[in-house]
Amino acid sequence: MTKQIPRSVIPALCLALALPISAYAAESTLPDWSGVWAMEGGTVFDQATKTGEGGTTTPGVREHPPYNAEYEARYQRNLALRDQGILPDPNSLCGIPTGFPRIFNLPDVYEFAVTPKQVWVIAENGPNVMRIYTDGRDHPPPEDRWPTHTGDSVGHWEGETLVFTTVSLHSSESGRTLVDRTGLILSEAAHATTRMGINAQGQMEVEMTIEDPLALTAPWVVVKRFNRLEPGTRAYDYACNENNRNPIDEETGWTYTIGPDGRIMDKLEGQ
Amino acid sequence: MRHEKFLTVLAAGAMVLWAGLGTAHHSDAMFDRDTTLELSGTVKEFQFTNPHTWLQVMVPNEQGEEVEWSLEWGSPNQLGRQGIRPSTFPAGSKVVVRTNPMRDGTPGGAFIGAMLADGKTVGRWD
Repeated sequence: MTKQIPRSVIPALCLALALPISAYAAESTLPDWSGVWAMEGGTVFDQATKTGEGGTTTPGVREHPPYNAEYEARYQRNLALRDQGILPDPNSLCGIPTGFPRIFNLPDVYEFAVTPKQVWVIAENGPNVMRIYTDGRDHPPPEDRWPTHTGDSVGHWEGETLVFTTVSLHSSESGRTLVDRTGLILSEAAHATTRMGINAQGQMEVEMTIEDPLALTAPWVVVKRFNRLEPGTRAYDYACNENNRNPIDEETGWTYTIGPDGRIMDKLEGQ
Repeated sequence: MRHEKFLTVLAAGAMVLWAGLGTAHHSDAMFDRDTTLELSGTVKEFQFTNPHTWLQVMVPNEQGEEVEWSLEWGSPNQLGRQGIRPSTFPAGSKVVVRTNPMRDGTPGGAFIGAMLADGKTVGRWD
């Protein structure tokens, strides 16, 4: 014996069947960015324009963003402080987010969580989280947004490449953020378009095109790459204030070391 | 010998041994990266904490007094992924430690590597 499906329920049945299929289809096109990743190279943000030998704290090392004269002078002042070991870094304070673009310039490990409507960049160091909305929304109108450390990011997928724009960032002049420990800075006018996806070598490749009409004379393109670590690798809590024995002297910018008795061990030379 | 006067300046001004603090958290300007000291002492405590781990080692000075050295290393997260554990340096164990010392001579430095009494080495020891 056969039963006929009433004509009246057919549209609802079709809809019920189609919804999960289309949802699955949408999700199945999302790339697999699972696992734990680590940045390639050191924390010099723009390795392509680096000059000098060493890392961010090595005197003589610097990068060459297309700064205008004013921001080049500001960068040089920071470099001079860096050379003396007294460039205060907000990262050292614990609890201050790294912000964008530095969130793509950290040691320790990363996770890139892809969901149908958002992508989360989760940096173990800090810890730091950046949210990128891919649900079709636009940035809020200027009157409804304010500067934050990671700004406001919205994007879309071009195949398996995530393309997003970031606006409403804190200025480095606020003292809340640096781009790296050489003293790279950006203004409150900075914004960026980022393309990220897995390259032919299996690395996560993040290409940031940063524009800043107050600081830069041309777009500044920086590429960071991340390697997927062994399957099963874990990320952990990074409780920065758990045992922070390196406070910064607010007046001098020197990073102190706290001794076993809870007192400052060292002094800035000349003090 | 566990005595500060026997601290060995292995290669002042020439050899830089840097185990990598993973210093995203703070500047390393306080450390003399051109000098490597070798200390012999007794582990007081291994602080397996963020943002950095600290190995506290008691080292006798010239007067025979025990001085507590604070040796800073990477985050427990980084080190944990490399097989280092809170139990790596048991309290009371004898240890020889290499460090880039504090520039101002205070008893501390950046941890490079260590050798335990059983010959096992930890960190960089080459």
